[in-house]
Amino acid sequence: MMLMPPFNLHHPKTVEEACELAATFLANKESFDWVAGGTDLLPNYKWHINVKTHVISLANIPGLDTISMHEIGAMARLGALTTAENVHPLIASAASKIASSLIRNNATLGGNICLDTRCFWFNQSEDWRRSIDWCHKEDCGTGSDCRVIPNQNTLCVATYQGDLAPSLMALEGTIHIIGPNGPRSLPVDEFFQLDGITRNVLQEGEFVLKVTFPENVANRTGSYKKLRVRESWDFPEAGVASSWIPGDPSSLRVASTALESIPRSHQEEVDALGTAFSKEHIPQLSEAIMKSIKPVNNTALPPRYRKSMVRVLAKRSLREILGD
Amino acid sequence: MAGGYRQQPGASSGEVRKDGKRVAGKQKFPPPGSGGSRPTMAPRDLDSIPESVGGKEPQPAGSHIHDRYRTGTEVGKPRALVDSHAKVTGQAWYGDDVRLPNEIIGKILRSPHHYAKIKSIDTSKVEALPGVLAVATGADAPNTFGVLPVTKDEHAMAVEKVRHVGDLVACVAAVDEATAMEALNLFEIEWEVLDPVFDPRKGLEDQDEPIHWRGKYHVGTTNVQKRVFQEFGDRSLVDDPTASSHGKWRMEGVHHGFTEPHAVVAHWDPNGRLQLYTPQQVPHYAHRALSTVLEVPMHQINVIRTFVGGGFGGKSDPFPHEMCAAILSRKAGRPVRINFSREEVYWINRGRHPSYIEVKMTADEEARISGFDIDALIDGGGFASFGHVTSYYNGVLATAPYELGSFHYTGARVWTNKPASGAMRGHGAVNTRCAVEVGLDEMAEQMQVDPIDLRLANLLPPHSRTISGFRITSNGMREALERVRDGSDWDAKFRQMPLGKGIGIGCGFFISGSGLPIHWDPNRFPHATVHIQIDMDGGVTVHTGAADIGQGSTTAVAQVVSEVLALPIEMIHVRSHESDTSPVDLGSYSSRVTFMNANAAIRAALDIREKLLNAAWEMLGYHPDVLVLNDRRIYYKHDPAVGVSYLQALHKAQEDKGSLISSGAYRSPPMGGVHKGAAAGLAPAYSFSAYVAEVDVDVETGLVSCTNVWAAHDCGKALNPLAVEGQIIGSCHMGLGQVLSEKMVYGRTGHLQNPNLLEYKIPSVHEMPHVTPIIVESSDPEGPFGAKEAGEGPLLPILPAVVNAVYDAIGVRIRELPLTPDVVWKAISAKTKSLGGIDETELPSPRLEHSSLQATLVARGLEHKERDRRRQRSEDTSAYVNGVLFGFDPDRPLEDQVDGWKSAVEPVPEQLAELGLAGKAWLKKEQRQMGGDQ
Repeated sequence: MMLMPPFNLHHPKTVEEACELAATFLANKESFDWVAGGTDLLPNYKWHINVKTHVISLANIPGLDTISMHEIGAMARLGALTTAENVHPLIASAASKIASSLIRNNATLGGNICLDTRCFWFNQSEDWRRSIDWCHKEDCGTGSDCRVIPNQNTLCVATYQGDLAPSLMALEGTIHIIGPNGPRSLPVDEFFQLDGITRNVLQEGEFVLKVTFPENVANRTGSYKKLRVRESWDFPEAGVASSWIPGDPSSLRVASTALESIPRSHQEEVDALGTAFSKEHIPQLSEAIMKSIKPVNNTALPPRYRKSMVRVLAKRSLREILGD
Repeated sequence: MAGGYRQQPGASSGEVRKDGKRVAGKQKFPPPGSGGSRPTMAPRDLDSIPESVGGKEPQPAGSHIHDRYRTGTEVGKPRALVDSHAKVTGQAWYGDDVRLPNEIIGKILRSPHHYAKIKSIDTSKVEALPGVLAVATGADAPNTFGVLPVTKDEHAMAVEKVRHVGDLVACVAAVDEATAMEALNLFEIEWEVLDPVFDPRKGLEDQDEPIHWRGKYHVGTTNVQKRVFQEFGDRSLVDDPTASSHGKWRMEGVHHGFTEPHAVVAHWDPNGRLQLYTPQQVPHYAHRALSTVLEVPMHQINVIRTFVGGGFGGKSDPFPHEMCAAILSRKAGRPVRINFSREEVYWINRGRHPSYIEVKMTADEEARISGFDIDALIDGGGFASFGHVTSYYNGVLATAPYELGSFHYTGARVWTNKPASGAMRGHGAVNTRCAVEVGLDEMAEQMQVDPIDLRLANLLPPHSRTISGFRITSNGMREALERVRDGSDWDAKFRQMPLGKGIGIGCGFFISGSGLPIHWDPNRFPHATVHIQIDMDGGVTVHTGAADIGQGSTTAVAQVVSEVLALPIEMIHVRSHESDTSPVDLGSYSSRVTFMNANAAIRAALDIREKLLNAAWEMLGYHPDVLVLNDRRIYYKHDPAVGVSYLQALHKAQEDKGSLISSGAYRSPPMGGVHKGAAAGLAPAYSFSAYVAEVDVDVETGLVSCTNVWAAHDCGKALNPLAVEGQIIGSCHMGLGQVLSEKMVYGRTGHLQNPNLLEYKIPSVHEMPHVTPIIVESSDPEGPFGAKEAGEGPLLPILPAVVNAVYDAIGVRIRELPLTPDVVWKAISAKTKSLGGIDETELPSPRLEHSSLQATLVARGLEHKERDRRRQRSEDTSAYVNGVLFGFDPDRPLEDQVDGWKSAVEPVPEQLAELGLAGKAWLKKEQRQMGGDQ
């Protein structure tokens, strides 16, 4: 049995109220977390990982769960994404591969995007982490070293294992953020930043409002390939999403996840192809994508294998969008 | 029976008033008890009564001594388990469901160090915390305990030193869980950290500070807990083999993964007796250990076994947390509950040993198996647990079902600073079985013969002895192989499928009840005892100590009693939860319960049956030999109208006595050899199984998925076919976990990296193949109605079947379990590189061109089939010992016939140089031989 540590739960009714709450906590220097579906945050809390004094729930704010071809709200449930008719098939297919149906019924798009990074030195109970004398990501004030790559005290290499991010990148999504300092938006490609601790560009007090897609997104065909040991429950050990508007090589987008601390857009490798994309280019592109990533040993499968599999996943994903 | 039942003697029905009003004390009342819910007797179910006693149930394996007690009521019929309603409605009370008034919560402080001495523990701050009611440390319980009397090496909490991360250091009880958790942070402990050992191979070397000290029996100053050497047969036969296989295996540790984490409630009642509620597989051993540790006589302890949410061997040790709860409760004077988190479950572990196994096998020019040479180094973790036995089982349970020319086994179990390994479903037999079956597959390939035919031509017959002296009685191995071959369409698939698709065979052999009880003299005391009590209402209360851990032992007992007495199963009430009311039973391990406990229950029921028949004899005037029991009625064989109801006979039998009470016991017959370790692996019967598995391998990613399994298991007689099928399918699932995805990962620093069910990857429903269970009934002469075990044996064959199927699919032999995709992919990459860097999709699939040996094997298989049939049906009762296939005379000692025939339990000096990994344990001397501890 695991006991949930105590925290104060807040239920703002509007986005503005949420931002005000956040601003108040910031001003009082009180720590807080956002919670959407809670399927990632609450298990971590039970493990006493980064427990905050306050938790602000977005569940009671109406209008955050929109689902359409061009806009998906942060509170849209993953389960709803898999069954909705007007959502891009790539999103539906990627969402259907997340965790289990029970978890998908509660988990949300926003929560999946902002998923905390994972590492088997970190996602453990307090007793366990004490026995390794903590780690860089959760050092409990001890200034502990990273346990994955010792003797470097500057970078957290915990792995980002969200499933949806590469698909959102491949569909050229734009992410909309709001906080005490007002709203802003940026391409999903630019949302994720730096290491396993910072994870993304969200400033304190900010949260994800929605993701929007370009006008022509419906023309895109996409494919997401996920590597995992079991067909249910498991986080991706590697994931590659690709998409293009058939016949238009310049529209090709490829992104990967679960390999490094942030999901990656592989625009550089795609651009290196030049202006053409056909069956013959697949091996070269897959190889280039594989070479560009550097997984570390902190998930269930060894990094060398995961890296090699990126080639296979990319190949299969690209073949699928080519209709091969 | 004229006059019926009256409240007072002397009155007759004539005294009933004509106006219908009652006369005080004189009215008739109906017989107590309804005798069942149906008003009329059901017709005899001849389809469930054996041919040998006039029924229609076919008996291809011959008649059975229990046939004449068959009434066609319950045996052989698919039945939902009797406790299933309680479980599916959520009313079954598991460990964590027990709530006593005033209970407080216990928490355990666990070691953050792999290996360290405790220099001091200061508990003053803990005791000062408001809400803390009791604190205990190792000093409160210095007595050692352990499941085996020879290796009592555990304490309730660490005394002197901790042996792995998560080892128990101290415990605290507080008014609520949050307070208890807070209290854990207030212990002040001074440690002296020692150098830990994680690699079992390192455990063979001398250490400054061995993890345990065995005194004069300690092997050098190593961490070797137990070493075994066994050699039987004619070693010269292994020279010049026609085929040979040499494989070095690495098998990761696996955990039972039962649903219910450990939970215990301890309460000292107002009379000062301990009432301990715990989900135990083996309540009796916990009872003994509690008595030792608490220094309280056993009769002052009542162990109450709650419903068990899965055990699989993981709840069969007496556990330190059970002691902790009792100690805290004694100190606090209130009931104490301790619940484990999943992580704590992994820390207490007792899962399958991580193993290094090396197997050399040879076959001679007639494709007879001339030698098995097994070396097993097993990683015991911090404590002995069942390890003494496991060390033997890794070798000796490989001596059947095949006839061997020679057998050589070296085994060693070492302590490491990891959670303790122990007994897990298929105890000790699983890993070597996998290695041996894969070796057979490899030899079949070398000889270009069909691996099923190779097996069929080398089986031991029914009623024979293995090379190590085990007594085989019933043996359904041949039928199991034949039926999976037919069921799977093997002949059309094996070595004929495209790349990525494969089919493989594996066999299994397991004990049906450990022949020697751990704790007492088997020549004096029974293994199992069952009491039956029937009162006026006709309901039958059965008292047994057998622990139902979900396998259905309660149902099995209810079924056999129901069968003998011809009563509906709802009239049988099994009481098995409390040690106060249950006769002692050795518990649910070694697949002994159905065999031993049901045998005891049959004997108790026969006693009652005799009393009922004698009463009926008195009432009807017909001798019991011509009376028939059927559905709550006893009647004359030739005229069913002449008879009495069960209740009438019962009440007759109860005259002047009251309740009918009987007791039945079971003790296994004397058996086995006299060499050291001869007792390990002895059982009154053995189960046999053969599986064929079909797999799909993704050659680019290495992902293996098992799609179909044909699973034949010889359980002697399926008392409850539904339960047997459940056990077969469940075993497939559990074995698939070990072969495909489950492993306890100890990382770079020796920490268990995946102590949770997300990262410890038990297959989900998506990974589950379609399993076709096939029940083989060989009718064991000593089993209850012919039954043998079906709980553990069915797990064994799935591992080698899948590994062999993977070879059939991709042509690569992998000797590393589990076959996670990275392991398979690595092997595929190595193969493609060795073939000049070809693409994975161009891998050549293995193919089979029968050699001339194939015809020899088929002919010998057919010949043996007839031999086996005659022996099974007792048409041939000649002696048969392992070695007859090699031309020896079974009636003369083999030592007299063959110069090189050996039976050794210690290596001779010239052998020492050539011993395998585990055999290296024999390079050291024991302390007493070194002039150390005497």
